[in-house]
Amino acid sequence: MTAITPTHQKPTNAQVFSTFWAMVRKELTVLSRYPVDFIASFVQIFIIVAIFTLAGLTFSETGQASEATSGVVVYGFVMFMFVSDTLWTIGFNVRHEQVQGTLEQLYLSPASKFASLIARVAHLLIWTSLLSLTSALIMRAMLGSLPVNNLGLALGLLAFILSGTFGIGFAFAALTLRVKEAANSLVNMFQFVFMILGACFFPFGALPEWMRWISRLIPTAYGVDIFRSTLMGYPAGFPELAPVNVEIVIVVVFGLVMPVLGYWLFRGAERHAREKGSLGEF
Amino acid sequence: MTAISLPARKPGKASPATLVSATFATVRARLLIVSRYKGQLFNEILTPIVLAAMPILLGRATAGDRAAEVFLANTGTANYVGFMLIGSATFVIVSNAFWHIANWLRWEMETGTLESIYLTPTHRVFVAAGTGIYSTSRSTVGAFVAYLIGSAIMGINPFQGDLLIAFLFILCGLIPLFGMTLFYGALVLKLKEANAMLNLMQWVVNFLMGVFFPITVMPAAAQLVAKLFPPTWMTNGVRSAMLGVGYFFGEWYLDLAVLWFFMLAAPMLGIWAFKKIENSVRRNEGVGQF
Repeated sequence: MTAITPTHQKPTNAQVFSTFWAMVRKELTVLSRYPVDFIASFVQIFIIVAIFTLAGLTFSETGQASEATSGVVVYGFVMFMFVSDTLWTIGFNVRHEQVQGTLEQLYLSPASKFASLIARVAHLLIWTSLLSLTSALIMRAMLGSLPVNNLGLALGLLAFILSGTFGIGFAFAALTLRVKEAANSLVNMFQFVFMILGACFFPFGALPEWMRWISRLIPTAYGVDIFRSTLMGYPAGFPELAPVNVEIVIVVVFGLVMPVLGYWLFRGAERHAREKGSLGEF
Repeated sequence: MTAISLPARKPGKASPATLVSATFATVRARLLIVSRYKGQLFNEILTPIVLAAMPILLGRATAGDRAAEVFLANTGTANYVGFMLIGSATFVIVSNAFWHIANWLRWEMETGTLESIYLTPTHRVFVAAGTGIYSTSRSTVGAFVAYLIGSAIMGINPFQGDLLIAFLFILCGLIPLFGMTLFYGALVLKLKEANAMLNLMQWVVNFLMGVFFPITVMPAAAQLVAKLFPPTWMTNGVRSAMLGVGYFFGEWYLDLAVLWFFMLAAPMLGIWAFKKIENSVRRNEGVGQF
Protein backbone atom coordinates (compact mmCIF):
# COMPACT_ATOMS: atom_id res chain seq x y z
CA MET A 1 0.00 0.00 0.00
CA THR A 2 1.37 3.40 -0.89
CA ALA A 3 0.73 6.29 1.48
CA ILE A 4 -0.29 9.56 -0.13
CA THR A 5 1.91 12.32 1.17
CA PRO A 6 0.51 15.84 0.77
CA THR A 7 2.80 18.19 -1.13
CA HIS A 8 3.34 21.75 0.04
CA GLN A 9 4.58 23.24 -3.20
CA LYS A 10 4.18 26.91 -3.95
CA PRO A 11 1.94 27.54 -6.98
CA THR A 12 3.84 28.42 -10.15
CA ASN A 13 3.42 31.81 -11.84
CA ALA A 14 1.31 30.19 -14.53
CA GLN A 15 -0.98 28.71 -11.88
CA VAL A 16 -1.27 32.06 -10.10
CA PHE A 17 -2.18 33.76 -13.37
CA SER A 18 -4.66 31.01 -14.20
CA THR A 19 -6.35 31.46 -10.79
CA PHE A 20 -6.42 35.20 -11.29
CA TRP A 21 -7.97 34.90 -14.74
CA ALA A 22 -10.51 32.30 -13.62
CA MET A 23 -11.62 34.60 -10.78
CA VAL A 24 -11.83 37.64 -13.07
CA ARG A 25 -13.95 35.60 -15.49
CA LYS A 26 -16.19 34.44 -12.66
CA GLU A 27 -16.65 38.05 -11.43
CA LEU A 28 -17.42 39.24 -14.97
CA THR A 29 -19.94 36.43 -15.43
CA VAL A 30 -21.67 37.38 -12.17
CA LEU A 31 -21.68 41.03 -13.26
CA SER A 32 -23.20 40.16 -16.62
CA ARG A 33 -26.08 38.30 -14.88
CA TYR A 34 -27.34 41.60 -13.43
CA PRO A 35 -27.73 43.94 -16.42
CA VAL A 36 -30.04 46.27 -14.45
CA ASP A 37 -27.31 46.73 -11.83
CA PHE A 38 -24.83 47.39 -14.60
CA ILE A 39 -26.89 50.12 -16.26
CA ALA A 40 -28.06 51.59 -12.94
CA SER A 41 -24.51 52.10 -11.69
CA PHE A 42 -23.63 53.86 -14.96
CA VAL A 43 -26.64 56.20 -14.83
CA GLN A 44 -25.95 56.86 -11.15
CA ILE A 45 -22.57 58.37 -11.99
CA PHE A 46 -24.18 60.80 -14.44
CA ILE A 47 -26.65 61.95 -11.81
CA ILE A 48 -23.95 62.42 -9.15
CA VAL A 49 -21.95 64.44 -11.66
CA ALA A 50 -24.98 66.61 -12.47
CA ILE A 51 -25.77 67.17 -8.77
CA PHE A 52 -22.28 68.34 -7.85
CA THR A 53 -21.93 70.40 -11.01
CA LEU A 54 -25.21 72.24 -10.37
CA ALA A 55 -24.25 72.67 -6.69
CA GLY A 56 -20.91 74.17 -7.70
CA LEU A 57 -22.56 76.49 -10.19
CA THR A 58 -24.74 78.09 -7.49
CA PHE A 59 -21.50 79.78 -6.38
CA SER A 60 -20.59 80.95 -9.87
CA GLU A 61 -21.31 84.46 -11.12
CA THR A 62 -21.03 83.56 -14.78
CA GLY A 63 -22.80 80.20 -14.75
CA GLN A 64 -19.49 78.57 -15.72
CA ALA A 65 -16.63 77.28 -13.61
CA SER A 66 -13.02 78.43 -13.91
CA GLU A 67 -10.44 76.01 -15.32
CA ALA A 68 -8.90 75.49 -11.88
CA THR A 69 -12.28 74.68 -10.30
CA SER A 70 -13.14 72.23 -13.10
CA GLY A 71 -9.78 70.53 -12.68
CA VAL A 72 -10.14 70.23 -8.91
CA VAL A 73 -13.70 68.85 -9.04
CA VAL A 74 -13.41 66.57 -12.09
CA TYR A 75 -10.06 64.97 -11.24
CA GLY A 76 -10.98 64.80 -7.55
CA PHE A 77 -14.15 62.94 -8.49
CA VAL A 78 -12.21 60.53 -10.73
CA MET A 79 -9.81 59.82 -7.87
CA PHE A 80 -12.69 59.35 -5.47
CA MET A 81 -14.26 56.72 -7.76
CA PHE A 82 -11.01 54.79 -8.15
CA VAL A 83 -10.05 54.95 -4.50
CA SER A 84 -13.46 54.02 -3.11
CA ASP A 85 -13.78 51.11 -5.56
CA THR A 86 -10.40 49.61 -4.78
CA LEU A 87 -10.65 50.44 -1.10
CA TRP A 88 -13.71 48.49 -0.16
CA THR A 89 -14.43 46.05 -2.98
CA ILE A 90 -11.90 43.48 -1.73
CA GLY A 91 -13.30 43.50 1.80
CA PHE A 92 -16.87 43.50 0.54
CA ASN A 93 -16.17 40.49 -1.67
CA VAL A 94 -14.53 38.56 1.15
CA ARG A 95 -17.58 39.29 3.29
CA HIS A 96 -19.88 38.17 0.48
CA GLU A 97 -18.04 34.84 0.18
CA GLN A 98 -18.29 34.48 3.96
CA VAL A 99 -22.06 35.07 3.95
CA GLN A 100 -22.54 32.76 0.96
CA GLY A 101 -20.54 30.11 2.78
CA THR A 102 -17.91 29.68 0.06
CA LEU A 103 -14.95 31.35 1.77
CA GLU A 104 -13.97 28.28 3.77
CA GLN A 105 -14.10 26.11 0.65
CA LEU A 106 -11.92 28.59 -1.20
CA TYR A 107 -9.31 28.21 1.52
CA LEU A 108 -9.33 24.46 1.19
CA SER A 109 -8.33 24.67 -2.47
CA PRO A 110 -4.64 24.91 -3.41
CA ALA A 111 -5.33 28.03 -5.57
CA SER A 112 -3.35 31.21 -4.91
CA LYS A 113 -5.12 33.35 -2.31
CA PHE A 114 -3.29 36.46 -3.50
CA ALA A 115 -4.53 36.06 -7.09
CA SER A 116 -8.04 35.46 -5.83
CA LEU A 117 -7.92 38.68 -3.80
CA ILE A 118 -6.56 40.84 -6.63
CA ALA A 119 -9.08 39.41 -9.09
CA ARG A 120 -11.95 40.74 -6.99
CA VAL A 121 -11.08 44.28 -7.93
CA ALA A 122 -9.39 43.90 -11.34
CA HIS A 123 -12.60 43.76 -13.36
CA LEU A 124 -13.91 46.81 -11.51
CA LEU A 125 -10.88 48.84 -12.52
CA ILE A 126 -11.79 48.44 -16.19
CA TRP A 127 -15.36 49.48 -15.43
CA THR A 128 -14.30 52.41 -13.22
CA SER A 129 -11.85 53.65 -15.89
CA LEU A 130 -14.67 53.71 -18.40
CA LEU A 131 -16.97 55.52 -15.97
CA SER A 132 -14.27 58.02 -15.02
CA LEU A 133 -13.52 58.87 -18.61
CA THR A 134 -17.18 59.35 -19.46
CA SER A 135 -17.96 61.38 -16.35
CA ALA A 136 -14.89 63.58 -16.97
CA LEU A 137 -16.18 64.28 -20.47
CA ILE A 138 -19.69 65.11 -19.23
CA MET A 139 -18.36 67.36 -16.49
CA ARG A 140 -16.13 69.07 -18.99
CA ALA A 141 -19.17 69.77 -21.17
CA MET A 142 -21.18 71.04 -18.18
CA LEU A 143 -18.46 73.10 -16.52
CA GLY A 144 -16.97 74.65 -19.63
CA SER A 145 -13.29 73.75 -19.72
CA LEU A 146 -10.94 71.16 -18.31
CA PRO A 147 -7.14 71.39 -18.20
CA VAL A 148 -5.24 68.29 -19.44
CA ASN A 149 -1.44 68.39 -18.93
CA ASN A 150 1.30 65.82 -18.23
CA LEU A 151 -1.01 62.90 -19.04
CA GLY A 152 1.77 60.27 -19.01
CA LEU A 153 3.07 61.29 -15.60
CA ALA A 154 -0.47 61.51 -14.20
CA LEU A 155 -1.26 57.96 -15.36
CA GLY A 156 1.98 56.69 -13.86
CA LEU A 157 1.11 58.33 -10.55
CA LEU A 158 -2.39 56.89 -10.76
CA ALA A 159 -0.88 53.40 -11.03
CA PHE A 160 1.08 53.93 -7.80
CA ILE A 161 -1.95 55.41 -6.03
CA LEU A 162 -4.08 52.44 -7.06
CA SER A 163 -1.40 50.02 -5.96
CA GLY A 164 -1.39 51.75 -2.56
CA THR A 165 -5.17 51.64 -2.26
CA PHE A 166 -5.05 47.94 -3.15
CA GLY A 167 -2.93 47.62 -0.02
CA ILE A 168 -5.54 49.51 2.03
CA GLY A 169 -8.14 47.22 0.43
CA PHE A 170 -6.24 44.18 1.74
CA ALA A 171 -6.08 45.76 5.19
CA PHE A 172 -9.85 46.37 5.08
CA ALA A 173 -10.39 42.76 4.02
CA ALA A 174 -8.38 41.76 7.10
CA LEU A 175 -10.61 43.98 9.22
CA THR A 176 -13.69 42.37 7.65
CA LEU A 177 -12.46 38.94 8.74
CA ARG A 178 -12.06 40.25 12.27
CA VAL A 179 -15.09 42.48 12.86
CA LYS A 180 -17.51 40.94 10.30
CA GLU A 181 -20.76 42.98 9.86
CA ALA A 182 -19.38 46.04 11.69
CA ALA A 183 -16.90 46.47 8.81
CA ASN A 184 -19.69 47.94 6.66
CA SER A 185 -20.24 50.86 9.01
CA LEU A 186 -16.49 51.35 9.37
CA VAL A 187 -16.01 51.43 5.59
CA ASN A 188 -18.82 53.97 5.23
CA MET A 189 -17.28 56.12 7.91
CA PHE A 190 -13.83 55.94 6.33
CA GLN A 191 -15.35 56.82 2.97
CA PHE A 192 -16.89 59.96 4.48
CA VAL A 193 -13.64 60.87 6.18
CA PHE A 194 -11.82 60.41 2.89
CA MET A 195 -14.38 62.58 1.08
CA ILE A 196 -13.62 65.48 3.42
CA LEU A 197 -9.96 65.03 4.38
CA GLY A 198 -9.04 63.85 0.87
CA ALA A 199 -10.68 67.01 -0.51
CA CYS A 200 -12.09 65.11 -3.48
CA PHE A 201 -14.66 67.73 -4.43
CA PHE A 202 -12.89 70.93 -3.43
CA PRO A 203 -9.33 72.22 -3.01
CA PHE A 204 -7.47 71.50 0.23
CA GLY A 205 -7.35 75.27 0.74
CA ALA A 206 -11.05 75.17 1.64
CA LEU A 207 -10.30 73.06 4.71
CA PRO A 208 -9.45 74.74 8.02
CA GLU A 209 -5.71 74.65 8.76
CA TRP A 210 -6.02 71.99 11.52
CA MET A 211 -7.88 69.70 9.14
CA ARG A 212 -5.22 70.20 6.48
CA TRP A 213 -2.69 68.91 9.00
CA ILE A 214 -4.73 65.74 9.42
CA SER A 215 -4.93 65.44 5.60
CA ARG A 216 -1.15 65.56 5.52
CA LEU A 217 -1.11 62.31 7.52
CA ILE A 218 -3.18 60.47 4.88
CA PRO A 219 -1.22 59.17 1.87
CA THR A 220 -4.30 59.00 -0.38
CA ALA A 221 -4.79 62.75 0.17
CA TYR A 222 -1.36 63.28 -1.44
CA GLY A 223 -2.56 61.01 -4.23
CA VAL A 224 -5.57 63.23 -4.93
CA ASP A 225 -3.46 66.36 -4.67
CA ILE A 226 -0.60 65.29 -6.94
CA PHE A 227 -2.85 63.59 -9.51
CA ARG A 228 -4.99 66.65 -10.11
CA SER A 229 -2.14 69.14 -9.79
CA THR A 230 -0.19 67.20 -12.44
CA LEU A 231 -3.12 67.14 -14.84
CA MET A 232 -3.75 70.83 -14.20
CA GLY A 233 -0.10 71.62 -15.07
CA TYR A 234 0.89 72.74 -11.53
CA PRO A 235 -0.84 76.15 -11.47
CA ALA A 236 0.13 78.57 -8.67
CA GLY A 237 -0.73 77.11 -5.27
CA PHE A 238 -0.84 73.49 -6.52
CA PRO A 239 -0.03 70.95 -5.18
CA GLU A 240 -1.37 72.21 -1.91
CA LEU A 241 -0.08 69.79 0.74
CA ALA A 242 3.67 69.63 -0.07
CA PRO A 243 6.12 70.45 -2.91
CA VAL A 244 5.77 68.38 -6.13
CA ASN A 245 8.85 66.20 -5.54
CA VAL A 246 7.88 65.40 -1.98
CA GLU A 247 4.34 64.39 -3.02
CA ILE A 248 5.69 62.20 -5.83
CA VAL A 249 8.03 60.41 -3.40
CA ILE A 250 5.18 59.89 -0.89
CA VAL A 251 2.89 58.46 -3.58
CA VAL A 252 5.58 56.12 -4.97
CA VAL A 253 6.54 54.83 -1.50
CA PHE A 254 2.84 54.41 -0.66
CA GLY A 255 2.32 52.44 -3.88
CA LEU A 256 5.25 50.14 -3.13
CA VAL A 257 4.93 49.63 0.62
CA MET A 258 1.18 49.58 1.27
CA PRO A 259 0.33 46.45 -0.79
CA VAL A 260 3.00 44.49 1.08
CA LEU A 261 1.84 45.81 4.45
CA GLY A 262 -1.87 45.29 3.60
CA TYR A 263 -1.29 41.74 2.39
CA TRP A 264 0.75 40.96 5.50
CA LEU A 265 -2.13 42.20 7.66
CA PHE A 266 -4.58 40.14 5.63
CA ARG A 267 -2.52 36.98 6.02
CA GLY A 268 -2.35 37.63 9.77
CA ALA A 269 -6.15 38.01 10.03
CA GLU A 270 -6.64 34.98 7.82
CA ARG A 271 -4.29 32.85 9.95
CA HIS A 272 -6.09 34.02 13.09
CA ALA A 273 -9.49 33.14 11.57
CA ARG A 274 -8.28 29.70 10.47
CA GLU A 275 -6.84 28.94 13.90
CA LYS A 276 -10.07 30.03 15.58
CA GLY A 277 -12.14 28.25 12.95
CA SER A 278 -14.10 31.44 12.29
CA LEU A 279 -13.56 31.72 8.52
CA GLY A 280 -17.03 30.42 7.82
CA GLU A 281 -18.64 32.40 10.66
CA PHE A 282 -20.57 35.55 9.85
CA MET B 1 -64.05 18.12 30.72
CA THR B 2 -64.16 21.86 30.16
CA ALA B 3 -64.63 23.04 26.61
CA ILE B 4 -62.32 25.82 25.52
CA SER B 5 -64.48 28.68 24.34
CA LEU B 6 -63.10 30.55 21.37
CA PRO B 7 -63.58 34.31 21.01
CA ALA B 8 -66.62 35.41 19.06
CA ARG B 9 -64.39 37.02 16.43
CA LYS B 10 -64.08 35.32 13.01
CA PRO B 11 -61.06 33.00 12.91
CA GLY B 12 -58.02 34.67 11.38
CA LYS B 13 -59.21 38.19 12.24
CA ALA B 14 -57.20 40.21 14.72
CA SER B 15 -58.77 42.78 17.06
CA PRO B 16 -57.86 46.49 16.63
CA ALA B 17 -55.90 46.35 19.89
CA THR B 18 -53.90 43.39 18.57
CA LEU B 19 -53.16 45.25 15.34
CA VAL B 20 -51.89 48.31 17.21
CA SER B 21 -49.87 46.04 19.45
CA ALA B 22 -48.34 44.30 16.40
CA THR B 23 -47.47 47.69 14.89
CA PHE B 24 -45.66 48.84 18.00
CA ALA B 25 -44.02 45.48 18.50
CA THR B 26 -42.50 45.95 15.04
CA VAL B 27 -41.30 49.45 15.99
CA ARG B 28 -39.78 48.11 19.20
CA ALA B 29 -38.09 45.21 17.45
CA ARG B 30 -36.57 47.47 14.77
CA LEU B 31 -35.32 49.99 17.32
CA LEU B 32 -33.85 47.20 19.41
CA ILE B 33 -32.02 45.76 16.41
CA VAL B 34 -30.59 49.10 15.31
CA SER B 35 -29.50 49.93 18.87
CA ARG B 36 -27.07 47.01 18.52
CA TYR B 37 -25.29 48.82 15.66
CA LYS B 38 -24.07 52.05 17.20
CA GLY B 39 -21.74 52.67 14.26
CA GLN B 40 -24.74 52.84 11.93
CA LEU B 41 -26.41 55.45 14.13
CA PHE B 42 -23.21 57.47 14.24
CA ASN B 43 -22.98 57.32 10.43
CA GLU B 44 -26.56 58.46 10.15
CA ILE B 45 -25.69 61.68 11.97
CA LEU B 46 -22.42 62.08 10.10
CA THR B 47 -23.91 61.58 6.61
CA PRO B 48 -25.92 64.83 6.27
CA ILE B 49 -23.05 66.88 7.70
CA VAL B 50 -20.50 65.41 5.27
CA LEU B 51 -22.91 65.68 2.33
CA ALA B 52 -23.56 69.35 3.09
CA ALA B 53 -19.90 70.09 3.79
CA MET B 54 -18.80 69.19 0.25
CA PRO B 55 -20.73 71.86 -1.69
CA ILE B 56 -20.16 74.35 1.15
CA LEU B 57 -16.38 73.91 0.98
CA LEU B 58 -16.46 73.90 -2.82
CA GLY B 59 -18.47 77.15 -2.76
CA ARG B 60 -16.05 78.79 -0.34
CA ALA B 61 -13.11 77.74 -2.48
CA THR B 62 -14.80 78.92 -5.70
CA ALA B 63 -16.29 82.24 -4.66
CA GLY B 64 -14.06 83.04 -1.66
CA ASP B 65 -15.30 85.91 0.46
CA ARG B 66 -18.12 86.59 -1.99
CA ALA B 67 -19.66 83.11 -1.56
CA ALA B 68 -22.70 84.37 0.36
CA GLU B 69 -23.24 87.25 -2.06
CA VAL B 70 -23.06 85.06 -5.19
CA PHE B 71 -25.23 82.39 -3.56
CA LEU B 72 -27.83 85.03 -2.68
CA ALA B 73 -27.97 86.18 -6.31
CA ASN B 74 -28.43 82.58 -7.54
CA THR B 75 -30.78 81.18 -4.91
CA GLY B 76 -32.49 83.93 -2.94
CA THR B 77 -30.66 83.41 0.36
CA ALA B 78 -27.17 84.27 1.52
CA ASN B 79 -27.24 81.52 4.13
CA TYR B 80 -25.71 78.79 1.95
CA VAL B 81 -24.71 76.74 5.00
CA GLY B 82 -28.32 76.56 6.22
CA PHE B 83 -29.52 75.87 2.66
CA MET B 84 -27.20 72.87 2.25
CA LEU B 85 -27.75 71.53 5.77
CA ILE B 86 -31.55 71.65 5.45
CA GLY B 87 -31.26 69.99 2.03
CA SER B 88 -29.03 67.17 3.23
CA ALA B 89 -30.99 66.58 6.46
CA THR B 90 -34.28 66.33 4.52
CA PHE B 91 -32.60 64.11 1.96
CA VAL B 92 -31.53 61.68 4.69
CA ILE B 93 -35.15 61.45 5.94
CA VAL B 94 -36.41 60.78 2.41
CA SER B 95 -33.65 58.39 1.43
CA ASN B 96 -33.96 56.42 4.69
CA ALA B 97 -37.72 56.09 4.27
CA PHE B 98 -37.17 54.37 0.92
CA TRP B 99 -34.27 52.24 2.15
CA HIS B 100 -35.88 51.11 5.38
CA ILE B 101 -39.01 49.83 3.67
CA ALA B 102 -37.05 48.21 0.83
CA ASN B 103 -34.50 46.66 3.21
CA TRP B 104 -37.19 45.39 5.51
CA LEU B 105 -38.93 43.56 2.65
CA ARG B 106 -35.66 42.22 1.28
CA TRP B 107 -34.51 41.09 4.71
CA GLU B 108 -37.79 39.23 5.40
CA MET B 109 -37.47 37.68 1.94
CA GLU B 110 -33.92 36.50 2.53
CA THR B 111 -34.52 35.21 6.03
CA GLY B 112 -37.59 33.37 4.76
CA THR B 113 -40.10 35.12 7.02
CA LEU B 114 -41.98 37.19 4.43
CA GLU B 115 -44.28 34.32 3.50
CA SER B 116 -44.95 33.71 7.20
CA ILE B 117 -45.99 37.35 7.64
CA TYR B 118 -48.58 36.81 4.90
CA LEU B 119 -49.96 33.83 6.82
CA THR B 120 -50.36 35.54 10.22
CA PRO B 121 -53.73 37.03 11.23
CA THR B 122 -52.08 40.46 11.54
CA HIS B 123 -52.37 42.16 8.19
CA ARG B 124 -48.96 42.96 6.66
CA VAL B 125 -49.97 46.64 6.35
CA PHE B 126 -49.62 46.95 10.14
CA VAL B 127 -46.17 45.39 10.11
CA ALA B 128 -45.21 47.78 7.28
CA ALA B 129 -46.71 50.67 9.26
CA GLY B 130 -44.51 49.69 12.21
CA THR B 131 -41.46 49.80 9.95
CA GLY B 132 -42.64 53.20 8.66
CA ILE B 133 -43.03 54.62 12.18
CA TYR B 134 -39.62 53.25 13.13
CA SER B 135 -38.04 54.78 10.03
CA THR B 136 -39.69 58.17 10.62
CA SER B 137 -38.63 58.38 14.24
CA ARG B 138 -35.08 57.18 13.57
CA SER B 139 -34.49 59.42 10.53
CA THR B 140 -36.20 62.53 11.85
CA VAL B 141 -34.30 62.45 15.14
CA GLY B 142 -31.04 61.64 13.31
CA ALA B 143 -31.55 64.43 10.75
CA PHE B 144 -32.44 66.94 13.46
CA VAL B 145 -29.36 66.09 15.54
CA ALA B 146 -27.19 66.26 12.40
CA TYR B 147 -28.68 69.66 11.54
CA LEU B 148 -27.93 70.95 15.05
CA ILE B 149 -24.37 69.60 15.10
CA GLY B 150 -23.72 70.77 11.51
CA SER B 151 -25.00 74.26 12.38
CA ALA B 152 -22.78 74.38 15.46
CA ILE B 153 -19.70 73.25 13.51
CA MET B 154 -20.31 75.67 10.65
CA GLY B 155 -21.31 78.54 12.88
CA ILE B 156 -24.93 79.30 11.96
CA ASN B 157 -28.04 79.76 14.07
CA PRO B 158 -30.13 76.60 13.56
CA PHE B 159 -33.34 78.20 14.83
CA GLN B 160 -34.24 80.99 12.45
CA GLY B 161 -37.30 81.93 10.42
CA ASP B 162 -40.73 80.43 10.94
CA LEU B 163 -40.02 77.14 12.68
CA LEU B 164 -43.67 76.16 13.10
CA ILE B 165 -44.34 76.36 9.35
CA ALA B 166 -41.12 74.44 8.67
CA PHE B 167 -42.29 71.74 11.07
CA LEU B 168 -45.69 71.64 9.34
CA PHE B 169 -44.01 71.06 5.98
CA ILE B 170 -41.99 68.16 7.39
CA LEU B 171 -45.04 66.64 9.05
CA CYS B 172 -47.20 66.91 5.93
CA GLY B 173 -44.35 65.72 3.72
CA LEU B 174 -43.87 62.47 5.63
CA ILE B 175 -47.25 60.96 4.70
CA PRO B 176 -46.90 61.18 0.91
CA LEU B 177 -43.30 60.08 1.37
CA PHE B 178 -44.35 56.81 2.99
CA GLY B 179 -47.01 56.41 0.32
CA MET B 180 -44.23 56.60 -2.22
CA THR B 181 -42.06 54.10 -0.39
CA LEU B 182 -44.62 51.48 -1.40
CA PHE B 183 -43.38 51.92 -4.99
CA TYR B 184 -39.94 50.97 -3.70
CA GLY B 185 -41.42 48.02 -1.87
CA ALA B 186 -43.13 46.90 -5.07
CA LEU B 187 -39.81 47.20 -6.90
CA VAL B 188 -38.11 44.94 -4.37
CA LEU B 189 -40.94 42.39 -4.55
CA LYS B 190 -40.64 42.29 -8.32
CA LEU B 191 -36.90 42.62 -8.93
CA LYS B 192 -35.69 40.97 -5.67
CA GLU B 193 -31.97 41.94 -5.80
CA ALA B 194 -32.71 45.63 -6.38
CA ASN B 195 -29.77 47.23 -4.55
CA ALA B 196 -28.28 48.98 -7.59
CA MET B 197 -31.71 50.22 -8.63
CA LEU B 198 -32.31 51.56 -5.13
CA ASN B 199 -28.90 53.24 -5.10
CA LEU B 200 -29.74 54.90 -8.38
CA MET B 201 -33.15 55.99 -7.10
CA GLN B 202 -31.45 57.55 -4.10
CA TRP B 203 -29.45 59.87 -6.34
CA VAL B 204 -32.48 60.57 -8.56
CA VAL B 205 -34.31 61.64 -5.41
CA ASN B 206 -31.35 63.83 -4.43
CA PHE B 207 -31.41 65.45 -7.86
CA LEU B 208 -35.19 65.99 -7.99
CA MET B 209 -35.41 67.37 -4.45
CA GLY B 210 -32.76 69.97 -5.17
CA VAL B 211 -30.72 68.98 -2.14
CA PHE B 212 -27.79 71.25 -3.05
CA PHE B 213 -29.38 73.71 -5.45
CA PRO B 214 -32.77 75.33 -6.11
CA ILE B 215 -34.73 73.37 -8.70
CA THR B 216 -35.06 76.55 -10.76
CA VAL B 217 -31.54 75.94 -12.11
CA MET B 218 -32.74 72.72 -13.76
CA PRO B 219 -34.16 72.59 -17.29
CA ALA B 220 -37.93 73.27 -17.53
CA ALA B 221 -38.86 69.61 -18.14
CA ALA B 222 -36.79 68.44 -15.16
CA GLN B 223 -38.41 71.13 -12.99
CA LEU B 224 -41.84 69.80 -13.93
CA VAL B 225 -40.86 66.25 -12.97
CA ALA B 226 -39.34 67.54 -9.72
CA LYS B 227 -42.61 69.27 -8.81
CA LEU B 228 -44.48 65.99 -9.16
CA PHE B 229 -42.29 64.65 -6.40
CA PRO B 230 -43.66 65.48 -2.88
CA PRO B 231 -40.25 65.74 -1.10
CA THR B 232 -39.38 68.66 -3.43
CA TRP B 233 -42.27 70.64 -1.88
CA MET B 234 -41.25 69.54 1.60
CA THR B 235 -37.63 70.67 1.15
CA ASN B 236 -38.55 73.97 -0.48
CA GLY B 237 -41.22 74.59 2.17
CA VAL B 238 -38.75 74.12 5.02
CA ARG B 239 -36.13 76.28 3.29
CA SER B 240 -38.64 79.02 2.53
CA ALA B 241 -39.97 79.03 6.09
CA MET B 242 -36.51 79.16 7.64
CA LEU B 243 -34.38 80.97 5.07
CA GLY B 244 -36.91 82.83 2.94
CA VAL B 245 -35.90 81.40 -0.46
CA GLY B 246 -39.48 81.76 -1.70
CA TYR B 247 -42.43 79.37 -1.95
CA PHE B 248 -43.31 77.93 -5.37
CA PHE B 249 -46.78 79.56 -5.24
CA GLY B 250 -45.70 82.64 -3.32
CA GLU B 251 -47.54 81.78 -0.05
CA TRP B 252 -46.83 79.02 2.46
CA TYR B 253 -50.45 77.83 2.65
CA LEU B 254 -50.66 77.35 -1.12
CA ASP B 255 -47.55 75.18 -1.14
CA LEU B 256 -48.86 73.31 1.88
CA ALA B 257 -52.14 72.73 0.01
CA VAL B 258 -50.18 70.98 -2.72
CA LEU B 259 -48.62 68.74 -0.07
CA TRP B 260 -52.13 68.02 1.26
CA PHE B 261 -53.10 66.87 -2.21
CA PHE B 262 -50.05 64.59 -2.26
CA MET B 263 -51.03 63.32 1.18
CA LEU B 264 -54.10 61.81 -0.42
CA ALA B 265 -52.78 60.92 -3.87
CA ALA B 266 -49.36 59.40 -3.06
CA PRO B 267 -50.54 56.76 -0.54
CA MET B 268 -53.43 55.75 -2.81
CA LEU B 269 -51.15 55.41 -5.82
CA GLY B 270 -48.55 53.61 -3.73
CA ILE B 271 -51.05 51.11 -2.36
CA TRP B 272 -52.48 50.51 -5.84
CA ALA B 273 -49.03 49.87 -7.33
CA PHE B 274 -47.94 47.67 -4.42
CA LYS B 275 -51.12 45.55 -4.53
CA LYS B 276 -50.85 45.13 -8.28
CA ILE B 277 -47.26 43.88 -8.10
CA GLU B 278 -47.94 41.86 -4.96
CA ASN B 279 -50.86 40.05 -6.61
CA SER B 280 -48.80 39.30 -9.67
CA VAL B 281 -45.92 37.97 -7.54
CA ARG B 282 -48.26 35.84 -5.39
CA ARG B 283 -49.92 34.40 -8.50
CA ASN B 284 -46.57 33.54 -10.05
CA GLU B 285 -43.42 32.71 -8.12
CA GLY B 286 -44.77 33.60 -4.63
CA VAL B 287 -43.38 36.07 -2.10
CA GLY B 288 -41.03 33.57 -0.49
CA GLN B 289 -38.68 33.33 -3.45
CA PHE B 290 -35.55 35.46 -3.60
